[in-house]
Amino acid sequence: QASGSLKDDYVVFPRDDSTFSSSTRERAKALKVKVELHYNQSVAYAVERNQRRVELEQDIVGEGKMSEERKKRRRQQLGKQESSFLRLRRMRLHADDFVTVKVIGKGAFGEVRLVQKRDTGKIYAMKTLLKSEMFKKDQLAHVKAERDVLADSDSPWVVNLFYSFQDAVYLYLIMEFLPGGDLMTMLIKYEIFGEDVTRFYMAQCVLAIEAVHKLGFIHRDIKPDNILIDKDGHIKLSDFGLSTGFHKTHDQKYYQRLLEGSSNTPETSNNRARNSVMVDAIHLTVSNRNQINTWRKSRRLMAYSTVGTPDYIAPEIFLNKGYGQECDWWSLGTIMFECLVGWPPFCAEDAHETYRKIVNWQSQLYFPEEIILSPEAEDLIRGLITSSDKRLGKRGADEIKAHPFFNGVNWDSLRSIEAPFKPNLSSITDTSYFPTEELENVPTAPALAAVMAEGNSQQQLAIGEETGLPFIGYTYKRFEHLKKSGGL
Amino acid sequence: PSGQRITQKPLFLCKPFVTSQLVKGSFSTIVVLPRYVDQGEWLALNLFEFFDMLNKFYGVVQEFCTPQACPSMSAGPGLDYSWLDANKKPLRLPATTYIEYVLQWISNRINDESIFPTKANPSTTTAVNAPSSSVSSSPAGAAGTAGQTWIGKEGGFPPNFYVTCKAIYKQMFRVFAHIYHTHFAKIVHMSLEAHFNSFFAHFIHFARAFELLERRDIEPLRPLIDSFEEQGLFKDNERSREQ
Ligand SMILES: Nc1ncnc2c1ncn2[C@@H]1O[C@H](COP(=O)(O)OP(=O)(O)OP(=O)(O)O)[C@@H](O)[C@H]1O
Repeated sequence: QASGSLKDDYVVFPRDDSTFSSSTRERAKALKVKVELHYNQSVAYAVERNQRRVELEQDIVGEGKMSEERKKRRRQQLGKQESSFLRLRRMRLHADDFVTVKVIGKGAFGEVRLVQKRDTGKIYAMKTLLKSEMFKKDQLAHVKAERDVLADSDSPWVVNLFYSFQDAVYLYLIMEFLPGGDLMTMLIKYEIFGEDVTRFYMAQCVLAIEAVHKLGFIHRDIKPDNILIDKDGHIKLSDFGLSTGFHKTHDQKYYQRLLEGSSNTPETSNNRARNSVMVDAIHLTVSNRNQINTWRKSRRLMAYSTVGTPDYIAPEIFLNKGYGQECDWWSLGTIMFECLVGWPPFCAEDAHETYRKIVNWQSQLYFPEEIILSPEAEDLIRGLITSSDKRLGKRGADEIKAHPFFNGVNWDSLRSIEAPFKPNLSSITDTSYFPTEELENVPTAPALAAVMAEGNSQQQLAIGEETGLPFIGYTYKRFEHLKKSGGL
Repeated sequence: PSGQRITQKPLFLCKPFVTSQLVKGSFSTIVVLPRYVDQGEWLALNLFEFFDMLNKFYGVVQEFCTPQACPSMSAGPGLDYSWLDANKKPLRLPATTYIEYVLQWISNRINDESIFPTKANPSTTTAVNAPSSSVSSSPAGAAGTAGQTWIGKEGGFPPNFYVTCKAIYKQMFRVFAHIYHTHFAKIVHMSLEAHFNSFFAHFIHFARAFELLERRDIEPLRPLIDSFEEQGLFKDNERSREQ
């Protein structure tokens, strides 16, 4: 095998793996990534661990007179935390390690449940995603990278991710549970907000979106269902990296088809049936309570459907002209409109009609006369719902913060002020802010139902079985998050 | 034909492959037991990770490790490992069967809650929540071991934990040895040699730090280990000792 001069031990070895099976080549590729990731991570873990120890020693010095006994205890305590963290890295979590308390949300590729971890009793939100559906779209690797960065960001404006793991069928995300529900549910309940309340949520959203942009990402899917409410009534943007990109709402071809009018996919015709009570959305008025309520009902059903709702998407996204961060500010404008008016500006009988209205926003943006908005509010909305080159926020969030509608807002303390609605919770597993009863009647998404029918959700990964390249390193655990949440 | 092979240097000892490394610098940063941390937990995590990765490395050469190509678990000329059956009778198995047995055997141990506990450790949890409570109570305090102490005792690992770790390590080494001696060319074809070398160097560094391999165990790859040593891969870096 080895040829060449034995004197200098140097061999010339032409590499050639072209005769190897494709599965071996795939494994080799995956392994390379895994090993590199492993060593990068190991070093990062060591560095972080060292930092924590140094910080503890500084603490001990800083506290002045501390008894030797106490110092010893503090060090022991750190040791225990670090040991628990090591154990977590070894832990292969499995869906069975969590007990479902209730289903609190449904999406196209899975569900969101309130769960309790069996051994610690801690409460989390668990999102399941069907891997088979995700593999169909090739953007996964890139999407995963986004997700990791956001999980790493430690931003108070983004829902924390604690663990993720997978079995043969699903990817599981274990997140912090935000007990206050989402803004969609809140809007369904209160119908409209006054300007002060709207100002609070919009201001918080501005900071949240700005945080995402500062990390270099575009959310692309800002909508009331993704704006979650924490126990203090403050907002956080829901985990999105994973789902963004393989939803049909981001599929250019899908938009194209819709715009061309061939919207008769089964899902849309379903929505049409659900929405058929509503004759013409644009002329809804506050006096037409029944019609508004019908719209709200279908609104929620829309959220559960595979299609998703297009109401908040900026025109440039589905005109396939390329888009930038400013598309998220358009979405904010439509949400602000909904908060003050009671429905989103381009709501219509079906998705196709909504797309048409959004593309023709110039003639379709219409403020109902019977709803009195302050000039500042209307001006801000018009500044956001406008062509991307003129849109407020194009040159950064400060443009929006400086708008007169936000006069008097103290941007630095926004997350610590009293929220207009603070959830009133009876226990840590209180789900009264979620439409849990309604969810029981929501049919399971077709792809999901198919998998469940096959009954292979219990399938375990055999030893050595490949878990697929895009998911490598997806077993995510993070010390700071775990410590803060008391997971350690 | 073996007479001739002995004189020929195996590929993995030849340049440029013998000096090919993915990881630069000393492994001690990630090998040395972190301060204040339970040694059992450290061993458990590292063994777990070594096993996981070794499993994957075998996965990439598996298609070539057939009973025809590797009728025995060889680790170089003149060395064949045999598998001990339930009655300790040595069995000569094709390498693929041997390795399958080994991986399954290790997997069974690593996934055994009584040897490698993974659930939240009750003594740890209470100690963190209520620092004043005693930390000495060990859940693994099996009858007759009350006064004794052992590696991993505090973390709830059983008394035979360290011995089990050594047994696992010894078998993992044999898989390395077989891959190096029989399938290294494939590793090179796939451009994985830097990854594999670093992984092995890490494995050996860790074994040294915690005395997991006996001198005689490592014989089949001693020249490679010596070469790594000469290249300075096992140098302790003073600062990392402080971890
Ligand atoms: N961390 C959480 N805590 C509490 N509720 C949550 C959490 N994550 C999601 N939910 C609830 O579940 C609903 C659906 O979640 P989500 O929007 O993440 O799923 P999806 O609709 O499948 O995906 P996408 O948002 O990407 O379209 C949310 O509207 C919210 O009510």
